[in-house]
Amino acid sequence: MRVGGRPLELTRIVSLGFTALAAAAFLGMLALFAAGSAPLWRQPGAAGFFGIRWFFRVHQFGFLPMIYGTLAVSAVALAVAAPLGIGTAFFTAEVLPRRARLAVKAGVELLAGIPSVVYGLLGVLLLRDFVVRLIARWEPLSGDTLLTGGLLLAVMILPTVMTLADDALSGVPAGQRLAARALGLTRAETALRVATRQAFPGLVSAVLLGLGRALGETIAVFLVIGRQDNQWPQRLLAFEPLTTAGQTLTTKLGGSETFISYGDPVHWGALMGLALVLFAVVAAVSLAGARLTTWRGRRA
Amino acid sequence: MLDALSTEALAPEPAEPILETRGLTVAAGRRTLLRSIGLRIEPGRVLGILGASGVGKTTLLRCLNRLTDLTPQLAVSGEVLLHGRPIHGRDVDADALRARIGMLFQQPVVFPGSIADNVMFGVRHTGRLPRRAWPERIERALREAALWEEVRHRLREPAASLSAGQQQRLCLARTLAGEPEVLLLDEPTSALDAGSTAAIEELILRLRERHAIVLVTHGLRQARRVADSLVYLAPRDGAGEVVESGPCQDLFTRPRSPELARYLSREPA
Amino acid sequence: MRRGLDRVFVFLAGACAAAVCALLLGIAGAIVWRGLAVLDWRFVTRLAAGSGGSGGVFYEILGTLILVAAALLVSAPLATGVALTEAVYLDSRPRAGRWLLSALYAANSIPSVLLGIAGLIVFSRWLGWGKSWLAGGILLGLMILPTVSVALIERLRSLPRKYVEAATGLGLSRSQVVRSVLLRQSLSGLVSGLLLGLARAAGETAPILFAAAVFSGAGLPAGIRDSPVVALPYHIFVLAQDSLDPAVQDHLWGAAAVLLGLVFALSLLALPVRLRIHEEAKHA
Repeated sequence: MRVGGRPLELTRIVSLGFTALAAAAFLGMLALFAAGSAPLWRQPGAAGFFGIRWFFRVHQFGFLPMIYGTLAVSAVALAVAAPLGIGTAFFTAEVLPRRARLAVKAGVELLAGIPSVVYGLLGVLLLRDFVVRLIARWEPLSGDTLLTGGLLLAVMILPTVMTLADDALSGVPAGQRLAARALGLTRAETALRVATRQAFPGLVSAVLLGLGRALGETIAVFLVIGRQDNQWPQRLLAFEPLTTAGQTLTTKLGGSETFISYGDPVHWGALMGLALVLFAVVAAVSLAGARLTTWRGRRA
Repeated sequence: MLDALSTEALAPEPAEPILETRGLTVAAGRRTLLRSIGLRIEPGRVLGILGASGVGKTTLLRCLNRLTDLTPQLAVSGEVLLHGRPIHGRDVDADALRARIGMLFQQPVVFPGSIADNVMFGVRHTGRLPRRAWPERIERALREAALWEEVRHRLREPAASLSAGQQQRLCLARTLAGEPEVLLLDEPTSALDAGSTAAIEELILRLRERHAIVLVTHGLRQARRVADSLVYLAPRDGAGEVVESGPCQDLFTRPRSPELARYLSREPA
Repeated sequence: MRRGLDRVFVFLAGACAAAVCALLLGIAGAIVWRGLAVLDWRFVTRLAAGSGGSGGVFYEILGTLILVAAALLVSAPLATGVALTEAVYLDSRPRAGRWLLSALYAANSIPSVLLGIAGLIVFSRWLGWGKSWLAGGILLGLMILPTVSVALIERLRSLPRKYVEAATGLGLSRSQVVRSVLLRQSLSGLVSGLLLGLARAAGETAPILFAAAVFSGAGLPAGIRDSPVVALPYHIFVLAQDSLDPAVQDHLWGAAAVLLGLVFALSLLALPVRLRIHEEAKHA
């Protein structure tokens, strides 16, 4: 919007000022975490960063169980939501007529608007019992497990993955589909060879953005995961650890330790370290996802 | 020279049509788009479909290879017969049908990938050609589309690097690679410059020997140069109908319907 | 064989879609069925009773509305400033504009719990506010800033050039063009972005967890320091952690239904605005 003007006008100054203010707020947050975590790095026991034990009263701060928890829960969520979401997107973009597609998209958008605490409530009241029955073979202590958290997250990120995947597939020009069908390719062949090939970056981006959301979710996971420290699995890539309670970066940060640790610099430093790790991981995944797709805010 | 070719005397009896329609009617909801269309497409001939914009020429063409199936709002009734057998019907494989009938669109549609990839795009899925036979098929198709000499050394290069005229010939090669019996051409030169247009028109005359061709065109000059017989569509009671049909020369010199006469007088001859 | 594959493809894709639809209907059904059983006028207007697990949610609704209003007042001017910066003042520097958009995007993906912790540090401790409704409003306003900004930016960018040209031709200064033409015409974008953002803000728990909300003992806040509110999301969050009592469960469904009603009402309000923008874009 080219509008010529002088540099010193009020509206411009105010706008730039507000932008600077907003930028300062967000960057300030980052600085807060970095500064707050300093005591931890200075501590000789900081090697405990990569440790697997968290006993804050004796200043033992191992991050790994929480990192494992975050990754495990997100992996479960992706394993369920990615195929389901992309499969649904194939159906809406390639098979459904226009009106039905819009109806499904509207419904999915409604799902996306449900607050995480309500998802958490659904997890507590409905999902936990279901999971206990599901994994009865492993004799779980309760329905509060990493698996429950992962499944709940899967439902929460499903709308994101599905909508973005559908957008990516629908963005393939209609002329290409028509030409492929005219050559005699079946619907499936057109969808898989022509559409997927072009939409591939968009599909990857959909999964990455869903992952970003899963990594950062706190409240819903908090309610169903058991919040048990020091759950370090004996075998990392097995299913069995998922049937016990656990802790993620977000559930630790959202818990009571954040309140009580403020007075103790090292304890606080450890929590700030967790916050930095969370921030870095989510930022990396989200930026990767954003690069693969043009920036699309919630459409006005 | 081109005029002489198109005014060749016709055979005394009409040949057995490859493709035929009887009473073909297309409706979208309550609106009728095309009414009671009857066509005969004969081997070795170019049938031109003429008419003003919007009368339904493209829709008509798409009925012939059931591409109209992709638009659920369109209701197609009447008969379309390929070698005397109806192409609609539950037991007919529409995808196999489309592999036997080739189509060219107004805008050249080129898939991402190399020139060779594009030529084989249809056949690799629909045909049962073993890989080692591909290079030979590619060369044959490109020769038939008069593109071989220009691209023979660049087969691995991206197809998008070709000019518009070359891309349209590539699309033609892609269609020809499947060895179709019928070619449906939907205003194939409307997006091209004069030189490319002339090249494609010459191609059509050559292809006529081995394929039956249906050409939608709204240029009288092109029809005159290339078509053997013509069908003129005009709206009557809100739907497109065949108002006149017959050998090209007859329609141009002795139009019988007022609509065609008006159309001829308005278009540059 | 190829026909078979085609059928398998459609079947699998359809199965996914059916599963997703079943999920959607199941969730909606569960909430509507269980929640509406509890929901009535008294639920909405009575105060919480017992240890918060029975009675109504009057102050919780009020608290949520206060937070939403505060978030509105914070994010509207900031988002307008950011949007104008991107669409107008940085127009001559496309690289800076892209940086801004990337930054907005990054800010949008920050986990909300981190915002809550930052609020704990800055408002609760440094400023000594303890728990304050204003802190909650500011944090929520910051959280939805990217959403609102982008909605407004898209609207600004889609305005036809002719209005700016006509106004400039009449001799208006840039400030005046921005205020009288750009902002006035893009108001619908701001409104719809705000409604969508506030719908999200109304349901968020993590930002208000540390610095704004309490479970009980708060009504209408008086002042800024030590003036927390009770809010629906936090109310549900705390109660859900001890939910073995079936009566409490009923109460929870009701509270969830109210919260959802609020969130969806805000989203639905945005719908006519979004439709109008869509129509205008088609006829432009």
